[in-house]
Amino acid sequence: MRALVVEDDPVVASELVRGLAAAGFVVDLAGDGQQAWFNGDVEDYDVAIVDLGLPRLDGLSVIKRWRDAGRGFPVLILSARGDWTDKVAGIEAGADDYMAKPWAMEELVARVRGLLRRAAGRSSPTLEVGPLRIDTHRMTATLDGAFVKLSPLEYRLLDYLAHHAGRAVPATELSDHLYGDGDAENANAIEALVARLRRKLGADTIQTRRGFGYILPATAA
Amino acid sequence: MTGGSLRLRLLAGAGVAIALALLVAWFAMTWLFDGHVERRVEDELLVQVRPLLADLQLARGVPVAGSEPADPRFAVPAGGLYWQASTGAGAIRSVSLWDSHLPAAASAPADRWRIRRAAGPFGQHLLLMERAIRLQPQEPPVIVQLGYDLAKLAPAQREFGREMALFLVLLWAVLALAAWAQVGLGLRPLRRVGQEVERLRRDASARLGGTYPRELAPLIESIDALADAREADLVRARRRAADLAHGLKTPLAALAAQSARAREGGAAAMADGLDSSIAAMRAAIDGELARTRISLVSEGRSTVALPLIERLIAVIEQTGAGERVAFSLACDESATLPLASDDAAELLGPLLENAARHARRLVHVAVETVGDQRMLIVGDDGPGLDSAQRDEAILRGARLDSGGEGHGLGLAIARELAEASRGDLALARSPLGGLEVRVGWTLSA
Repeated sequence: MRALVVEDDPVVASELVRGLAAAGFVVDLAGDGQQAWFNGDVEDYDVAIVDLGLPRLDGLSVIKRWRDAGRGFPVLILSARGDWTDKVAGIEAGADDYMAKPWAMEELVARVRGLLRRAAGRSSPTLEVGPLRIDTHRMTATLDGAFVKLSPLEYRLLDYLAHHAGRAVPATELSDHLYGDGDAENANAIEALVARLRRKLGADTIQTRRGFGYILPATAA
Repeated sequence: MTGGSLRLRLLAGAGVAIALALLVAWFAMTWLFDGHVERRVEDELLVQVRPLLADLQLARGVPVAGSEPADPRFAVPAGGLYWQASTGAGAIRSVSLWDSHLPAAASAPADRWRIRRAAGPFGQHLLLMERAIRLQPQEPPVIVQLGYDLAKLAPAQREFGREMALFLVLLWAVLALAAWAQVGLGLRPLRRVGQEVERLRRDASARLGGTYPRELAPLIESIDALADAREADLVRARRRAADLAHGLKTPLAALAAQSARAREGGAAAMADGLDSSIAAMRAAIDGELARTRISLVSEGRSTVALPLIERLIAVIEQTGAGERVAFSLACDESATLPLASDDAAELLGPLLENAARHARRLVHVAVETVGDQRMLIVGDDGPGLDSAQRDEAILRGARLDSGGEGHGLGLAIARELAEASRGDLALARSPLGGLEVRVGWTLSA
């Protein structure tokens, strides 16, 4: 696994490199924004850990440029700025997770592994159901070509319905798939997830068949 | 030091000035009244003595009256009305003079009546009219004197003075009332300025603006300029405090790294000490950052809730806790929270993160209006807290100073942000089974 660490403070950078190397990563280090942008643009990394306050080019701009160039590797922001406004800006710039300094190396490694787990293991790159196109590699969806941001749970529910397009999937089956049990108490959570997906994809995208379950029509949305 | 009351000063000034003016008016009016009454008396006397003058003759140089004035007061001794005609050879006088006579006049003008005051008979103070009349060119002049007891005028003059004084006192009261209303009207814009300045004290971003009388415009502009300077100072101070706090975090991270290495090198005791100090410094920095933010909460701001909640949920869904729970939203698209966007994010973020951390499957977020209350509700289906635990959680997170790391600090920040924006935060049992955090703001009318 290759990781890119973007950090201008030498002590912090060396600690990150050391910790990630100890966790089995091959680590490259970039000390400023320009260098980071260049590295991320030309090299294939599995994950990047990016500080925001960087010389020459700030971290948010680096992430945006990577995403604009189609670089999809997961990015974890590691910043001294821990305000929620900064977190929102980081995620909206294209980052996948956010940690505030100072950090615990064990937690950082665990979250990096979580990011890698989410991004990995998708053999079929895309799945199309009507105007809905699901990128199973990047865990994203587009509706009529427009990007729709999904949470991991929402993605997994939509992915499951898409794999069973045209069939009414009972809530218990969805619960079993999402949570590993068919507990009827999960019905509220499933309903909330479906409601949020309808808000994002359109009210008729996922239909309810009373007594049978939820259905993603095979041809239309 | 106090300058006293401007209203009182203006009212006292107006009251004294009006009283002085009315006092002068009273003197002037009573003087005019006295003069007017005396002129009426003079006219009356002249009418009364007309028959006397018409039939006045001289017999061997002594005046003789052919007929006398009809007014009976001329016939009553000490009656108050007197006449006397005299020459060098002798004099005749009204019965009312009895055995007295009017003050002697050696001469008198021939072309007009001379009017003077003089002490008369019977201890009376008289108004005297005198004139020299020549009956025939070759005869000596007859000095005709008419007298009127001024004491007869006194009751009317006293009554007039009293009534006039009463009237002027009433007039003073009316004018004082008018002055009070005028002062109130004049000071009203100042009172408004006072209220606005109070708002400005609470909210650094507020300005007076608005429409004020022309005379107050320079004051308003000065206050607004002062508020601009104050806000700029606050923003600068906030930025410096935030920069300082953030600047400390990276060296702190480096220190944590060195602590980890020390631990690996076998110096566990030293590493424990370092870690403890790092945790304390981190809590102090986070607390200071939060305090800086809370001290600058602005009133009169609002944020549309739904997009902000969606954006925060998008962040939380990236975390380990957030990715395994579903978020249900009950919030109108137009619903707002009475906070600036940044402050609302700092209030909501920890609540959502906390709920996601403790939820089993579901986090419910609602923004609703109940009566005059805008409610933000964040509930979860986790294990929840019993009543004692909720009290403890509130106490633990009661103050930033005592709140430790984790959600104690998050709850403390949320609570203080709520209070700084004139809201309040309470913990309850969620219908989902877990904890419910309710933040309420009273909506202004």
